[in-house]
Amino acid sequence: MPDLRPILLVEDNPRDLELTLAALAKCQLANEIVIARDGAEALDYLAARGSFEGRPPGDPAVVLLDLKLPKIDGLQVLEKVKNDRHQRQIPVVMLTSSREERDLVKSYELGVNAFVVKPVDFNAFFEAIQDLGMFWAVLNEPPPRPFTNEAQ
Amino acid sequence: MTELDDGYLEACAAEPIKIPGAIQPHGALLVVEPETLKILQQSANARRLLGFDVRNDALLPAYEEATTLCEEIRGWLSGGENTLFYLVAVGSQQLQLTAHRSPQGLLLEFEPPPRPGESTLDGLYPRLRDFLDRISGAHDITSIAEEVAREVRAITHFDRILLYSFDGNGDGTVLAEDTNGILPSYLGLRFPASDIPAQARELYRLNRIRLIPDASYAPVQIEPSISPLNGLPLDLSQVALRSVSPVHLEYMRNMETASSMSMSIIIDGALWGLISGHSRASRMVNAQIRTACDILAQVVSLQIGSRLKASSAAERLELKSVETSLLSKLSVATSFQRGLVNNPHEWLRLVDAEGAAVVVQGGILTTGQTPSERQIRDLATWLFEAGHDVLETNSLASIWSGGEFLSEKASGVLAVSISQIRGDYIIWFRPEVVKTVAWGGDPNKPMESGAGRLHPRKSFDLWRQLVRQQSKPWTSAEVESALGFRASIQTLVLKAAEERAELTDRLEAANKELESFSYSISHDLRAPFRHIVGFAELLSDKEKGLDQKSRHYIETIRGAAISAGRLVDDLLHFSQLGRSQLLKSNVDVAKIVNELRHSLRTETEGRNIEWQVGRLPIGYGDPAMLRQVLQNLLHNAIKYTAPRDPAVIVVSGHEDANSTTYVVADNGVGFEMKYVDKLFGVFQRLHRAEEFEGTGIGLALAKRIVERHGGSISAEGKVGAGASLTFTLPRPKDLKKRSS
Repeated sequence: MPDLRPILLVEDNPRDLELTLAALAKCQLANEIVIARDGAEALDYLAARGSFEGRPPGDPAVVLLDLKLPKIDGLQVLEKVKNDRHQRQIPVVMLTSSREERDLVKSYELGVNAFVVKPVDFNAFFEAIQDLGMFWAVLNEPPPRPFTNEAQ
Repeated sequence: MTELDDGYLEACAAEPIKIPGAIQPHGALLVVEPETLKILQQSANARRLLGFDVRNDALLPAYEEATTLCEEIRGWLSGGENTLFYLVAVGSQQLQLTAHRSPQGLLLEFEPPPRPGESTLDGLYPRLRDFLDRISGAHDITSIAEEVAREVRAITHFDRILLYSFDGNGDGTVLAEDTNGILPSYLGLRFPASDIPAQARELYRLNRIRLIPDASYAPVQIEPSISPLNGLPLDLSQVALRSVSPVHLEYMRNMETASSMSMSIIIDGALWGLISGHSRASRMVNAQIRTACDILAQVVSLQIGSRLKASSAAERLELKSVETSLLSKLSVATSFQRGLVNNPHEWLRLVDAEGAAVVVQGGILTTGQTPSERQIRDLATWLFEAGHDVLETNSLASIWSGGEFLSEKASGVLAVSISQIRGDYIIWFRPEVVKTVAWGGDPNKPMESGAGRLHPRKSFDLWRQLVRQQSKPWTSAEVESALGFRASIQTLVLKAAEERAELTDRLEAANKELESFSYSISHDLRAPFRHIVGFAELLSDKEKGLDQKSRHYIETIRGAAISAGRLVDDLLHFSQLGRSQLLKSNVDVAKIVNELRHSLRTETEGRNIEWQVGRLPIGYGDPAMLRQVLQNLLHNAIKYTAPRDPAVIVVSGHEDANSTTYVVADNGVGFEMKYVDKLFGVFQRLHRAEEFEGTGIGLALAKRIVERHGGSISAEGKVGAGASLTFTLPRPKDLKKRSS
C-alpha cells in the first residue's frame, strides 16, 4: 500500500528545484510535493504554523532537505527535527552539492536517514531522486502514526 | 719558594710570626707609652745603638739625649699621620727613626743612618722620576715587571731581583728577573700556594716591605716580652725589624743566600705579587733606600692594577665583538647548534677554550679538543641533575667524580644551561694545565746537594702535583662572555620559536581559508554544471524531433558540463587528500589489486589484456588511500594500452627492511622521459584530450598520497614502448621495534 502522505522538498535554488521536480515527476509518484524555500519555512510546515497554519494534518512521508539554505540551513533543520519528540521519526534525506566529509559526518551525527550527493550527470541525478522517492514514499513502511494524528 | 718566609710545612702556619719576641740586630726597638712617653719595652741592643742608658719604666723625655727625639714624636702625635719616618738626632748621632702607633704603645724603630756614599731618598729622587716615566709608557705587565726588577736591583745591589705574581689559587709564577748571574735564574718558575701560608700572606699585605740583611743573625730579645699595657706578647706586625721564622732562615741558607728583601704588590687591597731580592752575601739596605723601594712597589702596584683593568676591559670588548660576529652568523643558520659547529673558531674564542660542545635534546655537536660524546653526555646529565645553571671550574675532577677521566681534555669546564626544563648545555673545555706549561727557568743548578725539602725545584714538583687535573682558570670576563652569549642564544632561540609559531599561525589561517574556499567551490561551482546538464537533458527529452546537428550540440553542452563537474570533483578530492587524516594499518595490496581488476571490468570490456600480477608484499598505510593510488595506476595502464593487442600489464612488488615497493608496468604508448616531471603535476597532460580522456589529476593524486605516507613515486617510460610507475612506502618503525 503506497504511502500517500506528501513529500516535503526543501530547496532554495530555483534551478535545482525545477530539476528535482522534473525528476520526481518522471517517477510518477502519486504523492503531493510540498515545497519549502528555506529552513524556516520547512520548520513552519512541519509544525503547521506560519504560512502553513491550518494545513492538512500529518507528517510528510519524507523530507528531501538541501544542505545550504538561507536563514536556517539544512543541518540546523535536521537538528531541530531530530531533537523534536514528535518529529524525530520523519525520515530526512540530505541532498547536497558537496561531498564534504564534515557535512556528511555531522549529518549522520544528527541522525540523518540518508545523505545524497547530487550527481552532475542528470541521468544519475534522476535515478537518485527516483530511488529516493520510490524508497521513502512507496517502499518504506512508516512508523505507526503518533496518537495525535490517529484521531484524524 | 724564594719568599718562603714563615714556614713551608702546614704546621708552620701556626707559628707565632707576629709575635716572635725578638728583632733582627740591624736596628733597635723601643716601645713607649703614648701620653708620657714612658719606656715600656726595649730590645736588648737599644742601649748600645742609642748610646745612652735607656731603662724600662723611665720617661724618655727625662733623657737629655732624647730631647729632639721627643719633640719629633710629640709633633708627629699631634698630627694625623700613621707613620713617622725621620732622620733624627739622638745624643751626638743621627739615627733613622720609624715610628708606628699600636695598642701596646708607640713602636719606635731605630737604625743607623745611610753611610757616606750610600744612596738617600733625596739622592734617589731623579732616578725614581725617570723610572715613573719609563713604566707609564710600558705596554704590558711583563715589561713593567722587567723594568721594576731592573730598577730595584740597581738601587739595592742585590744579586738577583724577582717579580712574581699569584694566580686565583694562590700559586705563584715568576714573571720577571734581573740578575748579575751569581744566583741561578728562576724566571718562569712556578710554585704552589702552600709555599707561603695564609698568615704570612696577610702579614705581607699589612707590612709592605721586609729586609733580612744577614740570614745568620742572632735574634735580639725584647724585654720584657709581654706588653705592660695589655699583658699580651708584643705584636710586631708593623715592625720592619721583626725577627723571622727559623724555617725561613734555614731555607735561605739552603739556597746559599745570606740576604733577602721583599716588597708586596697590593692591588685593590689584595696581595697580587711580590718583588724579592737575594744576595749570596749579606747586604744591608738602609731605611731610605727601602722607602724608595716601597714607593716603587706602590707605583708598580697602581700601574699593574690599571693595566689589569684596562686589559680586562679590552678582553671584554674583544669577547663582545666575537660574540656579536658569531651571533650574526647564528641568526642565519638553520639552527644555532649548526651555526656554532660551522663557526668553530669564534665559538672557542668566546671564552678562549680548546674544545666546545653543545647538547640539545640529547644531540651532541662538538668542536676542538673534547671528551668523547658519551663522556659529554654523562657530564651534561650530571650538570642537569646537580642543578647547575652555570658551572665554572678549572678542576672538574675536584667537584665531580666522573671528572677524573676527562681531566686531560676537560680539566676546565665552563658550562651554561640553555633550557629550564631539559639538560641542554653549551660547554667549553680547557685541557689540564701541566700539559701546557714548560719549566721556564734553569732547573739544573739551584741547590742540588743537601737542599732537603726546602728547595725551589721541590716546590715546582709540588706545584706540578697540585695542578694535576687543573686547567688555566676562567677569567671573569670569559665567564661574563659565556653568560652574555647564553642570553643572546636564548633570545635567538626564543625568536626562532616565535617566528615558527607565527608561521604556523599564518599557515593555519591560510589552510582555513583554503578549506572554506574549497568548501564553497564544492557547493557553488558544482551546482551550475549540474544545472546545465539537467536542463540540456530536459531539452532533448522535450524536443524529440530535433535534427541530428542540434542533438549533437545539446550532447556537447551536456558532455562539457559533465567533464567540468568531474574536474571540480577531482580538484576537491585532491585538496581534501592534503587535509584528511591518514588511518594507517597493514594493507593487503594483492587483494586490492584483485578487487580493482574486477571493478575496472567495464573499462576493459572487449579488450585483450594480459595481466601479470606477481607476489605483492603487505603494505602499511591508509587502505582507502592506497586503493586510490593503485586504482589510478591501473586505470592509467589500462587507458594507455588501449591501442595494444594484447595489452600487457605487469604488477610486481618487493620489500626490504625499511620499505615496500610496488611497480605497475605496461606496454602502452609510454611517454618521453624529458616530460617525466610533468607527469605528476596537477592537470598536467602529456596527450591531447581527444586521445585519452581524463582530467590529468590521477598521478598527482597518487603522488600526493604516497608522499603523505612518507614514501616516493617515480616513473620511467619510452614513447611507444610503455611506462612503468614505481612507488615505495616506508615500513612502520615502531611496529618493527615492537615485534623484535
